[in-house]
Amino acid sequence: MKSFFRFLYELIGSPQPPSETPVYREVIFPNVGLLTLGVSLALVLIFYYLINRAMGVATFNKGRHWAIFLIANAIIAFIIAIVQCNSQQVAEHSYIYWLATLNAVYGLLWFFLFSVILRKGSTNASTTPF
Amino acid sequence: MNLPPCFRFQPALAAVLLVLAGCYSRNDVKTEGGAVTEQQVENDQTKMPRDNAKVAPDKGAPNVAVETDAAAAAPLAQVNVFLEVSGSMEGFMPKPGADASNTRFQQQVAQFLSELNNSPAASRKVYYRIKEKPYRDSYQELSGTVRGGIKEPASSTDIPTVLDTLVSNYYAANTVNVLISDFIYSPKNTGAIPYIKTDITDAISRTQRTDLAVSVYGFTSDFQGTFYPAIMTGARKVPNCCDTDIPYYFWVIGPQDAVRRFEAALLAKQPAQQVHYGIKYPRPASSLLNKYQNKGDWYYGEKTASKREAGATYHTVAVQEASAQNPVEFVLGLNLSTMPALYRDPAYLKQNLKLVGQDTDAKIVNVAAATDQTRASSGPENQYTHFVKVRLTKMARAARPLQVVLNDARPAWVSQWTTQNDSNINQAGPKTFAFASLLDGVSTAIVAGQDAPVFQIPLTLEPAK
Repeated sequence: MKSFFRFLYELIGSPQPPSETPVYREVIFPNVGLLTLGVSLALVLIFYYLINRAMGVATFNKGRHWAIFLIANAIIAFIIAIVQCNSQQVAEHSYIYWLATLNAVYGLLWFFLFSVILRKGSTNASTTPF
Repeated sequence: MNLPPCFRFQPALAAVLLVLAGCYSRNDVKTEGGAVTEQQVENDQTKMPRDNAKVAPDKGAPNVAVETDAAAAAPLAQVNVFLEVSGSMEGFMPKPGADASNTRFQQQVAQFLSELNNSPAASRKVYYRIKEKPYRDSYQELSGTVRGGIKEPASSTDIPTVLDTLVSNYYAANTVNVLISDFIYSPKNTGAIPYIKTDITDAISRTQRTDLAVSVYGFTSDFQGTFYPAIMTGARKVPNCCDTDIPYYFWVIGPQDAVRRFEAALLAKQPAQQVHYGIKYPRPASSLLNKYQNKGDWYYGEKTASKREAGATYHTVAVQEASAQNPVEFVLGLNLSTMPALYRDPAYLKQNLKLVGQDTDAKIVNVAAATDQTRASSGPENQYTHFVKVRLTKMARAARPLQVVLNDARPAWVSQWTTQNDSNINQAGPKTFAFASLLDGVSTAIVAGQDAPVFQIPLTLEPAK
């Protein structure tokens, strides 16, 4: 799992400054990766199963509603990365923001993939986004 | 049981008294200042009657253990101070004149004697004047000699004989001998001069002491009196000497462990004019520093590095990339605060700290002492007194050991303080006749050609995985 996240997050190059590499590889990448996956899954479940099935809301199943959740998820993913880096007290570096941006992109990706897999189970939004 | 009440409690009373007696004797032993022998405690216990033994061991057993632990870090058993009082030393200790001026020798030695006499680092201090043999003195008498001049100077003292006496008769565990002298060794004739080194070696090695260590501290002082040169081709003596300073020395002789502890306690603040033979120092605390003057793509290779525990130390460098354009520079922090001043001297360290490694072009590029900035830093660099910066531009494909070694080389001051002819001392300057040869003799006797490094710190260089 560690090496999977390390592969994902080192696509933009190795961590900077290099002295923080062990902390990024051993702590920050796994934490950020798992949290982003979890949050994406949770938002997908809320959109398809809570709002559009259990609560039976009929007016929140369009593509633009889905997009609101998608963007919110990306913003949360961005914030997760920043908060994790700060809580681990790694040295200030622009790399932190590159990492957060990359994580936002992964947030979009996870949300999309979970949507494709899970949308069939929803009653009101089984065809959202397409 | 029709005994009167006072008899009825007698056994209990006896037991209480015996326990108290046991406690008292143990307290007494403690206040003696760590000179504890297990034997004494055992004797106390064997004196106790059988029925008391049931009460005593619970209290007694842990006490014994604690006290023997304390004995390991206890003060030295004894320090013997020997002051040479031959005629050649008179110029260091002139009788006080009307202007109340004194020499730096008087100032410094009187202060050293006072510090030693008041120091808790040694339980017992014994003072001697050295003439043809050592004569016992009190602290007041010896300090008085230093301040007020030598009463009956000896004609001359023979350095090999003195060294032989100290090594043979005054060498004891946990004891050091401090010899204060000008160490001007004049052989009987000029034909003996080439054999100074051998004479000293013979004197020190005559009694085989496997654990012997000798440390030499050099000082200079103004000199007001008659100077007796070792080389008597010119005048046999130079009256009303000298316009130049004259060196004098402290030689600390004893078992290596005792010498090391004595120096740490009493000679740590002396300047770096010192040499040490035969002392084994514990490896100083050290760690790589990844946020102090670091350059290039490297990080701690330890598995535990990501935990960043407080006080953790690191000795593995994982190098991601090293090239001429993008060299790796890392700093090793060393805590040399327990080492003698010689080994804390950045000039000495720059010359004698070496890297031993394979398949690498790693070089030491700088050695620096701690500054106010590093001491006040919140990072781990505040733990260290010295910083060794290493640069490398090439990396092997697999992990390689790299050692930081401090070689025990003769410091530069020894040759600067040595002269081959002291007959005209005012021109020669503050130098001692054949001083380097004396030290050669000590070195041959103690180190015997096997130069062990002062310390070595093992590091590992590994390519980043």
